[in-house]
Amino acid sequence: MTILFLNILILLIAPFFIIGIIKKTKAFWAGRKGVSIMQPLWDFIRLMKKGEVVSETTSWVFRYTPVIALASILFAAMFVPLITGKAIINIPFAFVIFSYVLGLGKFFSLLSALDTGSSFEGMGASREACFSTIVEPAFFITLASVAALSQNYSFESLKLILKNAGGYGYIIIALAVVTLFIMLLIECCRVPVDDPTTHLELTMIHEVMILDNSGIDLGLITWSAAIKMFIFEALIANLLIPLSWAWWISIPAFLVIICILSVIIGTVESSMARFRMTHVFEFIFLMSITALLILALVIYRIYGGG
Amino acid sequence: MGIYFFSLGMLFLGALLSIILKDESKKIKACSVCSVISTLFMLIPAIQVIKTAKHIETVFYTSPLLGYIDISIDALSAFFLIVISIMTSLGIIYANGYLKPYLNKGKNISAHCFFLMMLIASMIMVVTVQNALFFLIVWEIMSLSSFFLVIFEGEKKEVINAGLKYLVYMHISMIFILAAFIILNAHTNSLRFVNFVDYMQSPNAPANWVFLLAFIGFGIKAGFVPFHNWLPDAHPAAPSHVSAIMSGVMIKTGIYGILRFLLFIGTPSKLISYGVLAVAVVSALYGVLYAITQHDIKRLLAYHSIENIGIIGIGIGVGMLGMAYNNQFAAVFGFAGGMLHILNHSIFKELLFCAAGSVYLKTHTRNIELMGGLIKKMPFTALLFIIGSVAICGIPPFNGFISEFLIYAGMIKAVPAAGMKLFIVLIMAIAALAMVGTMAMLCFTKASGIMFLGNPRELDTENITDAPVSMIIPMSILAFLTFVIGMYSQYFISYASIPASMFTDGGNAVADLMFLYDFTGVISCCFMIFMGILLVLFIARYILGRGKKSEKYVTWGCGYNRANNHMQYTASSYADLFISTLKPLFKRVSHIKKPKELFPKEAYYEQEIEDIEEAYIVKPLLKLDEKFLTKFERIQNGNIQQYILFGLVFLILAIIGMVYFGG
Repeated sequence: MTILFLNILILLIAPFFIIGIIKKTKAFWAGRKGVSIMQPLWDFIRLMKKGEVVSETTSWVFRYTPVIALASILFAAMFVPLITGKAIINIPFAFVIFSYVLGLGKFFSLLSALDTGSSFEGMGASREACFSTIVEPAFFITLASVAALSQNYSFESLKLILKNAGGYGYIIIALAVVTLFIMLLIECCRVPVDDPTTHLELTMIHEVMILDNSGIDLGLITWSAAIKMFIFEALIANLLIPLSWAWWISIPAFLVIICILSVIIGTVESSMARFRMTHVFEFIFLMSITALLILALVIYRIYGGG
Repeated sequence: MGIYFFSLGMLFLGALLSIILKDESKKIKACSVCSVISTLFMLIPAIQVIKTAKHIETVFYTSPLLGYIDISIDALSAFFLIVISIMTSLGIIYANGYLKPYLNKGKNISAHCFFLMMLIASMIMVVTVQNALFFLIVWEIMSLSSFFLVIFEGEKKEVINAGLKYLVYMHISMIFILAAFIILNAHTNSLRFVNFVDYMQSPNAPANWVFLLAFIGFGIKAGFVPFHNWLPDAHPAAPSHVSAIMSGVMIKTGIYGILRFLLFIGTPSKLISYGVLAVAVVSALYGVLYAITQHDIKRLLAYHSIENIGIIGIGIGVGMLGMAYNNQFAAVFGFAGGMLHILNHSIFKELLFCAAGSVYLKTHTRNIELMGGLIKKMPFTALLFIIGSVAICGIPPFNGFISEFLIYAGMIKAVPAAGMKLFIVLIMAIAALAMVGTMAMLCFTKASGIMFLGNPRELDTENITDAPVSMIIPMSILAFLTFVIGMYSQYFISYASIPASMFTDGGNAVADLMFLYDFTGVISCCFMIFMGILLVLFIARYILGRGKKSEKYVTWGCGYNRANNHMQYTASSYADLFISTLKPLFKRVSHIKKPKELFPKEAYYEQEIEDIEEAYIVKPLLKLDEKFLTKFERIQNGNIQQYILFGLVFLILAIIGMVYFGG
């Protein structure tokens, strides 16, 4: 019961602080003092109190999408081991369900963007849909290889790499961290794939899809984007924390890794500009390459070299 | 067995009524009643066979020449009977509404109704007859009656062309199936399927070759790449309920044929298992890639049928690999997933074709580029189409997810089991299936987003109303089924797993079957949690939004306030980023008329994407064929006396041949 409670608590609260840490990091590199770490939470509460403006072109799809997207992301999070190292729902083949459930949210956010009849939002939707066709196979290759390596088919397999792969484990973990980190940048639309703070709609991906959302809906969408980022950070943290660690090491380690990852995202955003749209594809294909490298290493570990 | 013949008789009664009834509008009603009664009765033996796992059969003795005719319902037949009877009767109920405008125009539909009933009856016989000769006869009746259904609007040139193309493809398919049966008949000197099983499982049987012939023959019917070419032409040409029945049910008889031959050969060799998996993966990817490029909604759905046949094939391929490598888990999950996907695909594809048909009936166009904003005029059709889209993309909690998930599970668990070759192949198949899923998402957000959402583009939507109730009801039943099978898969999985267990190694697979049942139960518990979350959030959202100001305003145009409907994102622009990324896979054909003269009047630019298989394989082959056949043009001179002479010469040659070789 404590496990369930802790997991849900961190799932609902931590995302705000992640955004806060990223903002603080960016402010640090820019030489500013920056807003408080609590600011995203206050923003969320402020949005919850606001009224909204709805486009008259839209239909129920637009109206219900924020809730469906949030529900799908919360549900997907249940399959991922969070702070306690145990997922709320720990079943085999969880990564398939995880990514298809996220697909539900994505499907409706794409439809909602098209629902407004805006040319800009259609553009964002087109990009998001296109990128995910390249991201998903790489994710599946990575997870299926890791699952095959450890003969464990839930997300716990991420924690078992070192145990099963010996020395190669370090390389596989490094590659998997890179793969999932790139996936995080793409799925959560951070620099260098997308710039959440840009002012030019033509270059946006995710931000442009929600141009017409306001009030409570906007609050829910930003919150679910933050939860999504937290889930991917948690996946990376799982790679780095083996199953064998005791809870009094693994829980602080989890929190520290989440903070460090957020600082890294902030640093990346401060140190580089976003890619041109044509170069984004090259960046995404990098993820496929690292995924294939993981596959090659796993094959070598199982069948080659003894 | 009596019930089976009774319900088959109901179908023939419907066919008869459609000829003898005088009033045109009553014909389709009479057919629907007959079909529904037939379905209800057909379900009794089918469900009984699945529940008791015992097959029922009757054997007729005809004559020394034809021997025994076995009519038998085993688990595989029962599964297909359920799919065929439920889906076709829903399709015919839908046809009541769909044919109304044609009836009002005074079109004669008796032939159409007749062939509709014949198609259903022949499909039911195809999956139950266990005698090669009669199988071929009912198979041919099925192909011919569906041909006549396709050319319903035969006054249009493209419809006739598509119909002829379909007919030619079906007869090429017939040649291969015939060849497979001839080989079997020559070796066993029998036409009964039971004897084929004994022969094919003997050590020296040419199992691979027979299976290859059957796979090509039935693969043409099912629409595996590279035999898929008739599908994208025939479906847009046919009326929507016929497309729904053909795509939802009839192409599955091709899968049935492949599975039946698989039962003949028992454990497949590794070679053909890899072959089936490879063809299936290519079909799935190819189908969805070309679906993205299409803007004709029914062509798009036809390409999606190819994709889904590919997914079914992946399931069967994984199951075959599981058998070949003696990995029961993969065999159980692969076959069960593939079987369940047959059922699921027939449900959501029929739903989508029907919804697309309703849109076509109201807008008189299939070009989605012209549509937009239809959700306000046709709210129910839009909702049903979106449900179908979510289901076909394999998104939970709808039914497409369950079957794809079982296939994934089979593949993932089989990965580390045996050998490096299998490992790489399966991981690549997993990646391909993941890619197919996301591309389907791109395609169906495009289709439903551009058709129903946003503002109307070219079309005048002023007078459009929603489809009549007689069309909404069957579609709602289908949509309900997609949801129920997705949510409570543990109650439906036995319909797929019991036929699937015919292929697996009975005793050793029991543990995996039990795991399958438990696991689907777990999944549906998870989905209940999801529905709970969804409900809580909706209530929370409602409470939060109460009493807050909600204004209506125009869509934010990023500072530009003269936006009009033509500036919306279109289907082409939505798909363009993806298509241009994969440029080499498509052949773009542009039709340009440039503006000329000092005061240019007319100019246009049009781009379409041609099927590369058609452009680079079928067309050159046809050209070659034409070149060869024109050499014989002289023979065809219209002189009947000469034709009789040719006949005579042929007969004499045939007799000489018989005397010479037959001795």
